[in-house]
Amino acid sequence: MLFNSLTFVVFFVVVVALYWSVAGWQLRKNILVVASYIFYGAWNPPFAALLFTTTAMDFWLGRQIGKSQTHSAKKRWLVASVCMNLSMLGFFKYGNFLLQNFQWLLARLGIIYQPPHLDILLPVGISFYTFHSLSYTLDIYRGVLQPTRSLRDFVLAVSFFPQLVAGPIVRAGDFLPQLQHPPRLKPNQFLWGLALMTLGLFEKIVLADTLLSGPADRIFGYPGPLVALDSWAGVLAFAGQIFFDFAGYSICAIGAALTLGFHLKDNFRFPYAAIGFSDFWRRWHISLSTFLRDYLYIPLGGNQVRPFRMALNLVIVMFLGGLWHGAAWTFVVWGLLHGSYLVIERVLRIFFEDKTWAGHPLTRVIAGFATYGAVCIAWVFFRASDFTIASRMLTGMFGGHPTGDMILTTRELLQIGIVTIGVIALHWTMREESFETTVMRLPAWAITAIGSFMAFAIIFTQGTSNAFIYFQF
Amino acid sequence: MFFRRPSREEQIHGGPPLEFERPIPPAPWRGIAVVVTIVVVAATALWELYARSLGYAPTLNDNEDLWAKARRKVQPESIVIIGDSRAWFDVDLDEFEKGLGKRPIQLAMPGSTAWPALADLADDKNFHGTIICSFVPMLFFAPPGSPPMERAEKSVKRLHSQTPAQRVSEELGIRLEERVAFLKPDDLSLEGLLNQLPLPNRPGARVPPTFPPYFETEDRERRARMWEKCAEPGSELAKRIQQIWLPLFTPPPPPSYIPPDVFMAKMKEGIQKRFADVAAAVEKIRARGGKIVFVRFPHSGGLKELEDKIMPRQQNWNPLLQMTKAPGIYYSDFPELSGFNCPEWSHLSAGDSVEFSKRLVPHLRHALKM
Repeated sequence: MLFNSLTFVVFFVVVVALYWSVAGWQLRKNILVVASYIFYGAWNPPFAALLFTTTAMDFWLGRQIGKSQTHSAKKRWLVASVCMNLSMLGFFKYGNFLLQNFQWLLARLGIIYQPPHLDILLPVGISFYTFHSLSYTLDIYRGVLQPTRSLRDFVLAVSFFPQLVAGPIVRAGDFLPQLQHPPRLKPNQFLWGLALMTLGLFEKIVLADTLLSGPADRIFGYPGPLVALDSWAGVLAFAGQIFFDFAGYSICAIGAALTLGFHLKDNFRFPYAAIGFSDFWRRWHISLSTFLRDYLYIPLGGNQVRPFRMALNLVIVMFLGGLWHGAAWTFVVWGLLHGSYLVIERVLRIFFEDKTWAGHPLTRVIAGFATYGAVCIAWVFFRASDFTIASRMLTGMFGGHPTGDMILTTRELLQIGIVTIGVIALHWTMREESFETTVMRLPAWAITAIGSFMAFAIIFTQGTSNAFIYFQF
Repeated sequence: MFFRRPSREEQIHGGPPLEFERPIPPAPWRGIAVVVTIVVVAATALWELYARSLGYAPTLNDNEDLWAKARRKVQPESIVIIGDSRAWFDVDLDEFEKGLGKRPIQLAMPGSTAWPALADLADDKNFHGTIICSFVPMLFFAPPGSPPMERAEKSVKRLHSQTPAQRVSEELGIRLEERVAFLKPDDLSLEGLLNQLPLPNRPGARVPPTFPPYFETEDRERRARMWEKCAEPGSELAKRIQQIWLPLFTPPPPPSYIPPDVFMAKMKEGIQKRFADVAAAVEKIRARGGKIVFVRFPHSGGLKELEDKIMPRQQNWNPLLQMTKAPGIYYSDFPELSGFNCPEWSHLSAGDSVEFSKRLVPHLRHALKM
C-alpha cells in the first residue's frame, strides 16, 4: 500500500479510528499488528508470510542469545541470525546478480556456463525490514537490549506499518520500549503528525512526481548524447526527486507514527546544505548511516585504527551501503564513490583543518556547493541503469557532447531550476536547526497558509500513485 | 566482536531508555487544523465549480487499472476489441451486442498499439474467442520503447502484477471520478496546466509532442464518447486537436545518434518483425478456435491525407491481411461506412459512433462467418 494512494487514506482513517477508540493496550497493539500485515499483504499476500517467518526466527534467536551463558554461544546464535537474514536478502535481492557475475567470471576463465534465470519477485521493503529485525539480535548480542518476551511486540516492532517498507530503519531497541506503556492521545501531537504527513505527501506528489520525475526519467532514458545543460538538468532533477521522494516517505512515516503515539527519529536533516561528506551522511538517510556505523564501521575498528585501515573501513562500509541499495554494479560504484569522498575528506582535514581560512563562511559555502556537486555526480551512478548511460551522462555534463541533443522543454528547465534553487536555499537556511524549530518560529497564520497550500496542492496535482523509489530497495 | 557494554541504566530498563521524544512545536494546532480544513474544502469546491463552468463533467479517466479490470472480464469465448483510440471512440457496445449476440469487451487503448494486448490474448491458453482489432499503421507498427508501445505494455503488465491495494485504489478512484469534474489529469492537474504555459522551446530541441486535451468521456466498460463540445460543427476544440494530430502522426526525424540509413533499415526491420509476430499470434489464437478481424476505422481531413501519404494502404493493410490470412474491413471500401466525418479528423462523434457501429455489424458478421 502506498502512502500516496486512496487505499491508504481509507486504511489509515479506519486504523487510527479503531486504534484510539479501544481502551486496552494489548488490543490496540493487536490492531496495529493486523493493520501492519494488511498494509504489507496488500502488495503481495504470500510475502506477509515470509515477513512473519523471518521475524519469528529472529525472535527465537534473540531469546537464545539472551539465554546463552557464554560469549561463544551468544556469538553462534548471532551468526545464525545474521546468516538467516542475509541469506533471505541474498536470495531474493541478489540471487540473479550473483549468478550473472558467476557466469561472467567463468567466461573469463574460458568456461561457458548458462545459469538459469531465477524468476524471483523481490519482496517489497525486504532490505528495510531485514535491518529492522537484525538490529534486534545484534543489540541483544551487544548487551544493549534484553530479549522481549512478547512475540507480538517484536512482530509489531518489525512490521509497524509506517516504517515497514521504506524506512526509516527503526531499531527494535528504539521501538520496543515504546510498547511498554500505552501512549495517550495528545491532540497537538496527533495534529502535528497529520501536518508532517501532509508535508511528506506534498514532497512526494507535487515536487518529486510532478515537477521532477518526468525530466529525470527522460534524460536518463535517452539513448543518445545530450548537451551539458540537459545532462546537468537531468541530474539535478534526479537529485531533487530522490530527496523529496525518500524524505517525503520518511516524514510521512514519522507523522503517521506520531498520530498513533509513537516516536521515530529523523531520517533526513537538510542534506543538500552539508559541508563535506561526513556531514552529508549525518544528514542523509540517517537511520542507514547510523546502522552501518554502529553495526559495521565501529566493529571493523572505526577510526580507532591506523589511518590506512580507517580508510579501508570507510570504503568497505560504503561499498556495502551501495550494494544494500540494489543488486547492480552501478550502486556499488555509487557507494565506492562516497567511500572515496569520505577518505579524501579525512585526508584534506589533516592538512587544512587548522588553517584559519578553513572556517571562513565563504570557504564553508564553497565547500558546501562542492559537496552538493560531488553528491550529484555520484547520483549519476545511482540512477543510471548501466555504465554506458552513466558514462554518457558524465561526458555530457562535462561538455563532451557539444552537439548533443536538447530534449527538455523550457518549462521543464525552469521547473528544475526553481525547485533546485529552492531546496538548496531552504536547506542552507535551516541547516543548523531542526524542522520543528523552524516551525516554532513561524506565526500561526503562516503555518495555516503553508498547510492549506500544501494540502490543496496535493488534491490539485491529482497524483498517479507512483511507487516510492526506495520501495525497490 | 567489539561492542560496548551496556550502561547500568540500560540494563535496568531492559533496553535503552526512551531518550528520544519528538518535539511538538507549540502552536494553536486545533485552530490551525480547523482553518486549514475550511480553506482546503472551500478551495476544492471552488476549483470544482470552475471546472464545471468550463464545461467539464465527471467521467472516468482511462488508465492501466481500468484496462486491467476490463481485461479480467474476458472469458474464453468473449468478443474483444483491441487496438487504438479509433476502436475506443467509434465502437458502440450496445450496437455490437445487438448485432453480434454478445456484449464485447473494450480493450482498445488511446494512443497505443494493439500488439501487446494481442500477444497477451494469444498467450492466454483459455482464450478462443473473437478479436476485433483496429488498425492505424502509425500506431500498429510503433516500435518498442515508443510511447504507444509503452502505454499498451504498461497496461498488460499491470494486469499480471496488479496488487490488491491497486485494485482497491482503482475502485475508490472510479467512485471519485464519477462525481468530481476537476479530476482530469491531462487538463486540470498541476502538470496539465503547466504543460499549457506558452513558453517557447530552444531552437532545435527534440521535445515531446503535444498530446490532445480532454475531449472524451469514458464509462466503466471503457466505452469512450467524444465530448459534445468537440463534436459541435466548427468547434474550436476540434480545430485545435486537428492541429495536434498532424505533428503527432508525422514520423519524427531520425535520431541524431544513429545514421539515417541505419535508422530507416531498423525501422523497416521492425515493421517486418511486427508483421511476423502478429501473424504468429493470430495463428496461435486460430489454432485454439479463435477468430480475428482487422478493421480500419474512419479518419478524415488533413489527417487522412497525411496517413495515406506516409503509410499507404498497399504497404501495410494488404500485407497484414495476406500474412495473417485474416479478414479485414477497410471502411472506405464500403459506401455505407464511408460517409462519416470525424470532427477532429481521427474519431467519430458519439452519435456517429452508434450509427457507424450499426452499419459495421453486418460486415463483421460476414467477415467472421457468424
